[in-house]
Amino acid sequence: MPFLLFIFLFICYLVAGYGLLTIFKMQLKTAYMITLSLLLGIAVASFVPFLLQLFYIDLNPASIFGSLVLVALVLNIPTWRRIIKEGFPAVRRSFALKPFRILSYEVPYLLIFGFFTFVSIWRCYYLPPTSRDALSGPEAIAEFAVREHTMINSFFNIDLWTTNNQFKSPYLISLQMICKIAGFPFGQVWLSVVFVSFTVFLYHALKERLHPIIAGLLLLLFLMTPEMYAYTFMILYDYSNMIFFFLSLYFLFGYFKSGIRSHFYFAGLLMGIATYIRSETLALAVLFLPAILLSQRRNKDSLAKIVKANAFFFLPSFLGYYLTAQLWIKYYLPIHYDIGGLVNGHLSDWQPLFQRYSDIVTHLMASEFGIHLWGYILYFTAFLFVAEGIFVRRYSRDARNWLYAIFVLYLGVGALGFLLPMMNLNETTKRALFKLLPLAVLYLANNELLIRLSQRISRWEGTPSYLFAREPRPAPTPIAPTPAPAKGKTAPTVAKAAPASASRPSPKKRKK
Amino acid sequence: MKGFLLTIISALLVILVLNVGYYKEWFQAKPLQYWTDFLKEKDDTLSIEGVMASRYGVAYTMSMRIKQVLEQKHVTNPVILFEPNSYLRDSLHLYPKIRVPEPAVFYYYTGLEGVWINSPDTGKASFLVRISSKGVGLDVIKTPEQRHQLLAFYKKYPPIL
Repeated sequence: MPFLLFIFLFICYLVAGYGLLTIFKMQLKTAYMITLSLLLGIAVASFVPFLLQLFYIDLNPASIFGSLVLVALVLNIPTWRRIIKEGFPAVRRSFALKPFRILSYEVPYLLIFGFFTFVSIWRCYYLPPTSRDALSGPEAIAEFAVREHTMINSFFNIDLWTTNNQFKSPYLISLQMICKIAGFPFGQVWLSVVFVSFTVFLYHALKERLHPIIAGLLLLLFLMTPEMYAYTFMILYDYSNMIFFFLSLYFLFGYFKSGIRSHFYFAGLLMGIATYIRSETLALAVLFLPAILLSQRRNKDSLAKIVKANAFFFLPSFLGYYLTAQLWIKYYLPIHYDIGGLVNGHLSDWQPLFQRYSDIVTHLMASEFGIHLWGYILYFTAFLFVAEGIFVRRYSRDARNWLYAIFVLYLGVGALGFLLPMMNLNETTKRALFKLLPLAVLYLANNELLIRLSQRISRWEGTPSYLFAREPRPAPTPIAPTPAPAKGKTAPTVAKAAPASASRPSPKKRKK
Repeated sequence: MKGFLLTIISALLVILVLNVGYYKEWFQAKPLQYWTDFLKEKDDTLSIEGVMASRYGVAYTMSMRIKQVLEQKHVTNPVILFEPNSYLRDSLHLYPKIRVPEPAVFYYYTGLEGVWINSPDTGKASFLVRISSKGVGLDVIKTPEQRHQLLAFYKKYPPIL
């Protein structure tokens, strides 16, 4: 029975996520459509019990599963309209599976990825949640919410002075409730959907830029990050937060190149989801404003257009923050939480700020402890960063975007640790650095040396080297004609990759 | 042939990564160990409580034992006072092998209310969990004076997780 319900949930996630993608007019490769649909579907599902709770609706199997179906259907109203207009082939095209082709040299990677994935899924299914932050907050609330049909339950009547985890986002509570009601006593299985979807997405994203042999190596280094791998089967916020933060930047940087406005708003939605999961992500989102403004200035957008576009971009993030960190805590939870009281009272003393920046590097990254946390991926990234600087003497626009993101994250996480001293170094800051890893991997995917190596291998092998073009496609490749650009925009140049022979794209092809 | 050579290279790269430096240590201690665990776990017949006991260890077993004893005694609304973990560490030298759960986690395990010595709700404590090298005991707190004495005794041991 639980497995039938799991399939039911899986379909709900897929359909709801697909609905969101169509609302944003996202037309991407099948692998991206499926993985993004699932990830977005999980995000939607995490919002459903929370929303019901905001309206004080009884949280029982009927109300939760019924709402999940209803939301999935409502989000697909544009899809229904399209089906009525164009027939089923219109939708089928989105999931059209091309002949599935695995190259022989991908097999060793796929075997080891399969091993890591299997072990992670098994532990997710078989073992109960373990992390203290989950047990002393969201997991316990979810457990009693299933019994008492409300998130505001008897857990809040006990002595909670040792923890503040009850004040965190209802993201985990909602997803745990859904899975527990579906018959999985420890919940958690949703995390496997998140893990697998993201891994597949990332592999495809890397393969768009690099030869599979290098893409596989990078993904292996990413998966073999000791600390992060543990969170693929231990529920907590940071792994999911990392994924949506990364995806947001992926589409934001895609927008910088293509100018497709729907990608910009989609990036805003993804950042909103990341903020809903961890409210302090709002601070990081704001740090990307300079890059966004620069891009808009390059596009010669009018002031009114800039204000409007940015308002729509940041709206989901502000909403995600307000709902979880303000409305939920202040007006729903029965116990008071003084967020203002958590702010550092000695903001004029900057020594702890610099100390935090220093500690992040010396303690969490460039140390034996750092190797135990992240393996060698950061060293590998640093080495190739320096090598690119020495041998190529320039960084491509894509590489610069990801480097900017890494810098912003470092800046933001350090500043947050200074502003909120409860964000300790060894736990909160450490987990916040999960977000660094996919950024580093995408930087490596745009590292000129690795791209040249990819091209050499493919030339030697005799495969079309345009697959690993220097200036890759700006976002996941559309399979169908790209959506109509916003008024005043030129048509996006995303359908074809630049040929390998072109060391830089023609200025004419760039967005003005 | 070229494809075959690339396959050899990718296999070698995988083997290299799995065997280099800390990766080797981690891979053997974690993913490979998890695989060994899986081979055992797939055939086991443990109940949900059994899985939780094996995962959470002494803290969970102790908590469930407390619950069992109180249910047998038909005690209604008990509030359990725990000794501080720093007492287990500094005085009994049992920590971190044995550590008491924080009240939130104790409630998750058992559905019973627990308090630590600096909790605002210590006044409600009706039982004390007393840990020694010989085992765990559950003492009844009969009077407010007795509760005060206990709290005064443990005061010098600040609560730690």
